[in-house]
Amino acid sequence: MDQQGQNGLLTTYREGWRNRSAFGLFISLLLVSFYVVLYWEHKVQEQFGVAPFTAFSEAVGLRNRWYLYGLLYSVAMVAGAIYYLRRHGNSRYNRYRITVNVAIQIALGFTLPFIMPLFGGKEFYFSYFWPLKYDYLYPQTLADLPLYLSLYTVVGSLLAAPVLAVIYGKRWYCSWVCGCGGLANTFGDPWRHLTSKSTKSWRFEQVSIHLVLLIAIATTFLIGLDWLIGSEHPTFHRIVAGNDWRDWSIKSFYGFAVGSILAGVIGTGLYPAFGPRVWCRNFCPMAAVLGWIQKVGRYRIKVKPGMCISCGNCSTYCEMGIDVRSYAQADQSFTRASCVGCGMCAHMCPRGVLKLENSWDRPEDKERQRLSVVDF
Amino acid sequence: MRIVIVGNGVAGMEAALAVRRREPSWEISLISEESDHFFSRTALMWVFSGQMSHRDIEPLERDAYARLGFRRVRARATGIDTAKRLVSLAGGLEPVPYDRLLIASGSRPRSGPWPGSDSRGVGHFVTLQDLAWYEDEVHGGTSRAGGPPRADAHLRASESHSPYGFRDVSAKRRGRLARRPAVIGGGLIGIEAVEVAVAAGLRPRFFIREEWFWPIALDSRESRWIADQMSHHGVDVHLEHEVERLAADADGNVSAVHTNEGRYEADCVVIAIGVVPNTSWLEGSGIELDARGGIVVDESLKTSAADVFAAGDCASVRWFDGTRRPEQLWYTARDQGRVAGQRLLGDSLHYQRGAWYNSAKLMDIEYTTAGLVNWNLDGEKAWFFEEEGRVRSTTRVVVQQNRVVGFNMLGRRWDHSVLIRWIEEQRTLDWVLAHLNDAAFDTELVPPLRISGA
Repeated sequence: MDQQGQNGLLTTYREGWRNRSAFGLFISLLLVSFYVVLYWEHKVQEQFGVAPFTAFSEAVGLRNRWYLYGLLYSVAMVAGAIYYLRRHGNSRYNRYRITVNVAIQIALGFTLPFIMPLFGGKEFYFSYFWPLKYDYLYPQTLADLPLYLSLYTVVGSLLAAPVLAVIYGKRWYCSWVCGCGGLANTFGDPWRHLTSKSTKSWRFEQVSIHLVLLIAIATTFLIGLDWLIGSEHPTFHRIVAGNDWRDWSIKSFYGFAVGSILAGVIGTGLYPAFGPRVWCRNFCPMAAVLGWIQKVGRYRIKVKPGMCISCGNCSTYCEMGIDVRSYAQADQSFTRASCVGCGMCAHMCPRGVLKLENSWDRPEDKERQRLSVVDF
Repeated sequence: MRIVIVGNGVAGMEAALAVRRREPSWEISLISEESDHFFSRTALMWVFSGQMSHRDIEPLERDAYARLGFRRVRARATGIDTAKRLVSLAGGLEPVPYDRLLIASGSRPRSGPWPGSDSRGVGHFVTLQDLAWYEDEVHGGTSRAGGPPRADAHLRASESHSPYGFRDVSAKRRGRLARRPAVIGGGLIGIEAVEVAVAAGLRPRFFIREEWFWPIALDSRESRWIADQMSHHGVDVHLEHEVERLAADADGNVSAVHTNEGRYEADCVVIAIGVVPNTSWLEGSGIELDARGGIVVDESLKTSAADVFAAGDCASVRWFDGTRRPEQLWYTARDQGRVAGQRLLGDSLHYQRGAWYNSAKLMDIEYTTAGLVNWNLDGEKAWFFEEEGRVRSTTRVVVQQNRVVGFNMLGRRWDHSVLIRWIEEQRTLDWVLAHLNDAAFDTELVPPLRISGA
C-alpha cells in the first residue's frame, strides 16, 4: 500500500554504529583505507610488493581494479537500497527514485562500460557529465571519443543537464541519476542524520563548493588552452597537463585533490562521521552549477501555511544539512541551491507540511520572501 | 525597558524574538524551570524512540540566547508582585523586576484522580522531565546523542508538585526495565505514549474510557481504522474501560491497573488524560484566573494586571465559537506569542482566532481536519467516502443547509488552507467534491483520490 509518510518510528539515535560510536568510526576508517589503497595502489605495491585490488580483479576476470570498484560500488548500492526501502519504501517517490538510481548505476555505471570495450568500443559512462566527470570536456578526451559520444558529452553537460535542472531542479541528476548521489542515498542512508545543520557548515559549503567549481572551470580552460598551444610552449604544457602524478601539474593536482581526496577518501570515507553527502554538499562542481540553475528554475519545496509544529524531523533527516524547519515554521515555500530533492523532509514530516513540486506558479513566494521571517 | 517572560516555550520565545527584532537594546529575560533551550514539545515522542536527538528538537541553535542577548533564568517562578513589579523565584533566588511581563507558563499534565496515581512508575508524557522518566523506565536512559543538561541548583529549589521535577524510576528500583507499560487516556498524547512503547518493542495496553478512540475528533468508522492499526502493531486497546485504581507492590512500584472490567498487570503507567493551565503559582498574585485555571485575557492578551500579558496554553482566549478557554495547540501558542510580542513592544493588536484546523499522524495514518466537525450542528449531514486500493483513505465532508462546513480526512495529505477557503466561500458539496483534488497535498507520484459514484 502507498502511504504518504514515514511508516513506524525510527530508532536512529539508539544505534551506535550510526552515531559515531567506536564501531561507527571504525567503519569510517575502513572506508578511508579502502580508498587510499584503491587510489594509490602503486604505492602499496612499492612498499609491500602486492597490488591487492589489481590482483583480485584479474583473479575474478575483471579487466582492472576500476571494474572491481564499479562492481563493489553496485553491490553496496543494492544492499543500501534494500536497507533504505525497508524503512522508507512505503512512499512511491522513494521507491521509484531509488530503483531508477540503482538501475542506472548497474546499467550505465558498471555493465555498459565493462561491455563496450569487448565490442571494440571505448569505455564510457553515460551517467556522468562535466564538471563532475572533469575530463569529459578536455579536448583530448573529446578528440579520442567517437563522434556520437563527444556530442553526447558536450550536449549533455552544457545543454541537457542545465535545461533539465530548470524544469525539474537538480534532483533529476543528483537524486535520480548520479552515482555519487546514489551511493549516498543507499549505502550512506544510515548516516543521513549526521550532516551538520549549523549555520557555520552552511557558510563553509557556500565557499568550498564554489571554490571547487572555480578550480574545475579554470583547469578545463587551461587544459583546453594547452591543447591549442601546448606543443609550442613545453613549460606551460608541463605545468598544466603533465601526466605523471609526481609532476604535480594542474591536471594531475585536480585529479588528486578533487577526484581522489574530496570525492573518494573524504566524500565517501567519512559517511559514518559527517553524513553521506559530504562531497555533494561541499565540493561537487556539478552540484554548484545545477544549484544556481535550480534557484531560478521551477523546483521548490512548498510549505503548507500554519501547520508546522517545529518538531525538526525534516531538518534531522536532510542529508544536505538544510534547516528545513526554519522555512516550514515561517510558512515560507523555498528553493535552496543545495537541495537534491531526495524527498525525505516531506516523507518524515508528521503533519504533511512539505511537498516537493515543479511549478512556475508560485505567487505567494515573493510576498513571503519580502517578510524575510527566516532572519533568526 | 525590562521585558520578562515566564516560560521559554513557543509562545514565550516567539514573543521574545518579536521584541528583539525591533528593539535591539531592550533587556529580555526568559524564566524557565524546565529547560536551558527552547525545544519543540510536540517532538518528545521522537526523542524517546531515537528518531531524533534532544538537539534535533531545538528549533534554534544553542548560541541563540547569547547571540540575541536573551537573559536565561533557570528557576521556578513562584509568584508575581504586581505592585512592586517583581517575579519571585523559588530557592531564595533574587526576584526578577519587570516593566512589562508576559506569562507563557504553558500547561501541566492533569494528575490521575485514582488511588495509587502517585505510585513509583506512574508518570506523564508532557515535559522534558517526563520524557527522561519514561525513557528511564523503558530504555534505561536517553539515546546515544545524550540528553539536555540535568538538574542544577535552581531545579533543586523546585517544589515537589512541580511538573518539571525529576521522578523516581521504578525500573531502577526493580532492577529491570518496563516490559508491560499501560497508557490511560485516549487522546493525542496517549497514542504517542503507546506508539513509542511499540517502537521500543513492547506490547502496551491502552485504556480508553470512551466507546472509541478520540471521539472528540473522529467518528466511529474513522476511529475503528486507527484502533485496527494499533492492534495490528501489537497494542492491546481496551475501549470503554473506566480506571478505578492503580495498584503498587510492597516496594511502592506500580504493579497493575484496576478498571471496571478487571485487573491488568502493568509495570509502568503513563497517565494522558489531558493538560491544565500551569498557573497554580499565580494564586495570590491578584491576576484573574477562570474556573479552569486559565489566565483571563482580553482580545489583546492583556491580563487583569497592568503591563502583564499572557499567551499560549496558560491563557483563556476567545474561540471562534465565542467561548473562552485555553487553546492547547502548538500553532495557536506561536500565533499568540507573536501578538504578545507586539503588545510587549507597546503596539495595540488583537489576537484573532481563525477557523479551526489541525493535523496529526495517528500511528501511520495521516489526519487533517478543518472547520466544524463533530459539533452536532442543527441539520448537519455528513458525506463519507472510504477509498481502498493503492492508497487507503477516508474523506468526511460535513454539510449544513447545503453548504460545506467541515472536513475530516484520514490517510492522505490535504492543504487545510484551501479547505478553509472553501468553507468561507460557502461552497456546496457537489462543487467541493468536483474540486477536491485542488486541495490535495499528497507527495509526488501518489495517485489522486478518485471518488467513485460522485
